[in-house]
Amino acid sequence: MSGVQLRGIVKAYGALQVVHGINLEVQEKEFVVLVGPSGCGKSTTLRMIAGLEEISDGDLTIDGRHVNRVAPKDRDVAMVFQNYALYPHLNVADNIAFGLRIRKESKQAIASSVEEVGKILGLTPYLDRRPADLSGGQRQRVAMGRAIVRRPKVFLFDEPLSNLDAKLRTQMRAEIKRLHKRLGATSIYVTHDQVEAMTLADRIVVMHEGRIEQVGTPMELFLNPINTFVAGFLGSPPMNMVTAKIVAGDTGPVAAFGDDRLQLAPIPSLQNAVGQEVILGIRPEFVTVADQSVEGRVAVDVDLIETLGSEALIHATLQGDPFVIRTETVGQMNVLDGVSGFSIAPHLIRVFDAETGQALPGQVLEQ
Amino acid sequence: MSSDPNFTGPKTEGLVFDASEAQRRRNPSRMVRIGDHLKREWQLYVMLLPTIIWLLVFLYKPMYGLQIAFKDYSIFRGVAGSPWIGFEHFETLFNNDQFLRALKNTIIMSAYGLLFGFPVPILLALMFNEVLNQTFKKTAQTIVYLPHFISSVIIAGIVITAFSPSAGIVNTILGWFGVDSIYFLTKPEWFRPIFIGTGIWQEAGFQSIVYLAAIAGVSPTLYESAVVDGASRWQMIWKITVPSILPTIIIMLIIRIGNILEISFEMIILLYQPATYETADVVNTFIYRQGLQGGQYDFAAAAGLFNAVVAFVLVMTANTISKRYSRTSLW
Repeated sequence: MSGVQLRGIVKAYGALQVVHGINLEVQEKEFVVLVGPSGCGKSTTLRMIAGLEEISDGDLTIDGRHVNRVAPKDRDVAMVFQNYALYPHLNVADNIAFGLRIRKESKQAIASSVEEVGKILGLTPYLDRRPADLSGGQRQRVAMGRAIVRRPKVFLFDEPLSNLDAKLRTQMRAEIKRLHKRLGATSIYVTHDQVEAMTLADRIVVMHEGRIEQVGTPMELFLNPINTFVAGFLGSPPMNMVTAKIVAGDTGPVAAFGDDRLQLAPIPSLQNAVGQEVILGIRPEFVTVADQSVEGRVAVDVDLIETLGSEALIHATLQGDPFVIRTETVGQMNVLDGVSGFSIAPHLIRVFDAETGQALPGQVLEQ
Repeated sequence: MSSDPNFTGPKTEGLVFDASEAQRRRNPSRMVRIGDHLKREWQLYVMLLPTIIWLLVFLYKPMYGLQIAFKDYSIFRGVAGSPWIGFEHFETLFNNDQFLRALKNTIIMSAYGLLFGFPVPILLALMFNEVLNQTFKKTAQTIVYLPHFISSVIIAGIVITAFSPSAGIVNTILGWFGVDSIYFLTKPEWFRPIFIGTGIWQEAGFQSIVYLAAIAGVSPTLYESAVVDGASRWQMIWKITVPSILPTIIIMLIIRIGNILEISFEMIILLYQPATYETADVVNTFIYRQGLQGGQYDFAAAAGLFNAVVAFVLVMTANTISKRYSRTSLW
């Protein structure tokens, strides 16, 4: 089984600890994405798995073998770097063949492997070109070719799409996904782009300040973020946060803020939290726009409406804080003109403790 | 035109003005571009000025005096007043055995210098790059840079002392193995190795800085990627570092080839003696003896001009070849 296990992995530079004991199990053939803001330790973690950084403490196992002290080349991993790391003096074929030549494979084997990889990645017409004569997307493909040609147990990707423009990034994202389906290799992918994380991952690992905040499938994390950090990081636009107080209502707990009231789901943890200060997490997609006529609506001050074609983003303020609503446009344009508030189903509101930022227990939103 | 009293067309001055005006209008974008550029970047040109002045004063103005190579020069008549005699000095030059010997020595010593002296700074830079202990690296670098900052006179003094037959360290060591003292600096066969060795000792360290800078510019991810691929340090040197600094190596080689006849003249003057002229006398020392010591300025100028023309042809050729085959060139 070519999975990767991290147990209590720590990275420290002298007295400065940057990764604080990470536990993670990546299953065979799984595509796991480490995501988080800059400086959260995701790249460092990946580099420890590759063997480019020493592990200060903890155990790293690849394919059941303890590899803390094993040289990178003997870990049977391949890495794709953000800036491609292509050798400028070698042509595409030689770049792809580099790892195989280092391992002294036979000329025939190298030639057939390069040809096959060229075909998989659509690089056959460019095999004679130097990296300088390729576009960004082609270079990235060569970098991936260099990784897959070795048929490693584990693929490591360090922000491979960050240097590409938006359109190419979307294209290459789909290619990586297709490639993973085809090769079925265990992959660990680092990015700060939550869209990449959501689209590529079997499971997402959200990291923050050297710690794992939450691990789960993209939808699990999107629907049931464990704390305000994960809630704010995943989703575009991010989840709206509204400070409120829980009060007892006729039909269960109610969130009160200003003059407004929002009915909450009648689950025990919320019922027991009456009187507590909380943060309401409201996804821009989960609300229904409402005009004056709708009863029980929460009023917002609309600043501007961005129409994106099939959908629109309504930028508003609620209690002085920005509040974004995402809504469909088709058949709704006249509603949008008069929008002045929203309504939301109680079970779609995620309630976080105002002090700790952790989600109150028992709130589960099924997919 | 203007002498014709009936002429009513534009005056000559007006025509001149119009012509220049037309010229300016024909190419307005270019003029505007240059003007804008100067206005925007004038600070850069101010910084360039001292070098341009230096070039003009020390390298271009003396070129005026080059004409004496084709003249029967006399200090009393001056450069302009001396009569032209065509290529007479060059004919004498190529019939002069001493000059031909000096030319041969120059080419041989330059070739050896290139063969042995050129790779050493590259090897030094590659070795420094592999040193992980920073204290050791800095100390070693300082030690190899040091001879560059010592005057050639002192370097020559050290060399003469080291190879002295009575108290020199070289002969002392040879003495331990029962070898009789060798009068190194009076033996023509020893002059070239000593001269080239001295040159390497004096300059290799300092020249390695250029290559170290080039190595510092290689992206670290290339090495990381190679580490993951399983490359050894040795493979990384040969497959990444050397190809990456190859453009720098080629540029340095072109410059070096251009200077091939500019052999370290003062070092030869300091180390050679009539006993070793056979292998030690080069074009520049020949010029020095003929021109400054012998007072044959015109003849020496002819030898110097010949030297410069050969150097010019060499650097042009090297640059063209390099441009064609490695896509790297000085200009």
